[in-house]
Amino acid sequence: MNLERYELKAGIELEAFEFVSIGSKGKIKKLVQFQETNYKGVYNLGFGDKNIETGEIDDTVISNNGDSEKVLATVVATLYAFLDKHPNALVYATGSTKSRTRLYQIGISKYLDEVEKDFEIEGEINNKWHIFEKGKNYDAFLVRLK
Amino acid sequence: MKTKKINTRKKPIVIIDKSLDFYNNISLFPEKVEKANQMLKNVGLPMFDEKGKLVS
Repeated sequence: MNLERYELKAGIELEAFEFVSIGSKGKIKKLVQFQETNYKGVYNLGFGDKNIETGEIDDTVISNNGDSEKVLATVVATLYAFLDKHPNALVYATGSTKSRTRLYQIGISKYLDEVEKDFEIEGEINNKWHIFEKGKNYDAFLVRLK
Repeated sequence: MKTKKINTRKKPIVIIDKSLDFYNNISLFPEKVEKANQMLKNVGLPMFDEKGKLVS
């Protein structure tokens, strides 16, 4: 993916990342966190906006900052960095809403040929995992290094 | 054991900021993690064969 992306900052463990979206609504601080679930080696990918005034993180807000492709490319970049540090991890991702999950799906589909070179991507439909295919609606995704 | 190596061309440059390690023991997205735990409990993890192909 030779898309433009934002500069990333991360902690030493590469489990928490921060970047700043710059667009029509100004600067918005974004946080990405890979947090281990109850299943060893399976991490949830969380992503949201940080409210500068309150410090609260909101993963439901719709930023509309006009840079969604660059933001998505940056989140994918965190996956590369995280999985480089944790090569045997599985990363679970789903949207905070159905429409956001659909956005993730559209993003994966758009760059599938490229990301498939590095990642195995499974999608969950009706309580079953399937190899990710374009044009199918999934409820959640699992990503791992090939 | 197969060694997994990432395509370094795609690996981003990351500036290390130790203040972000503050979040390592804090769940920033607890609802999402709980949702993931519930879903994985109900569905389980995908099964892979020896070649890493999905079998279920």
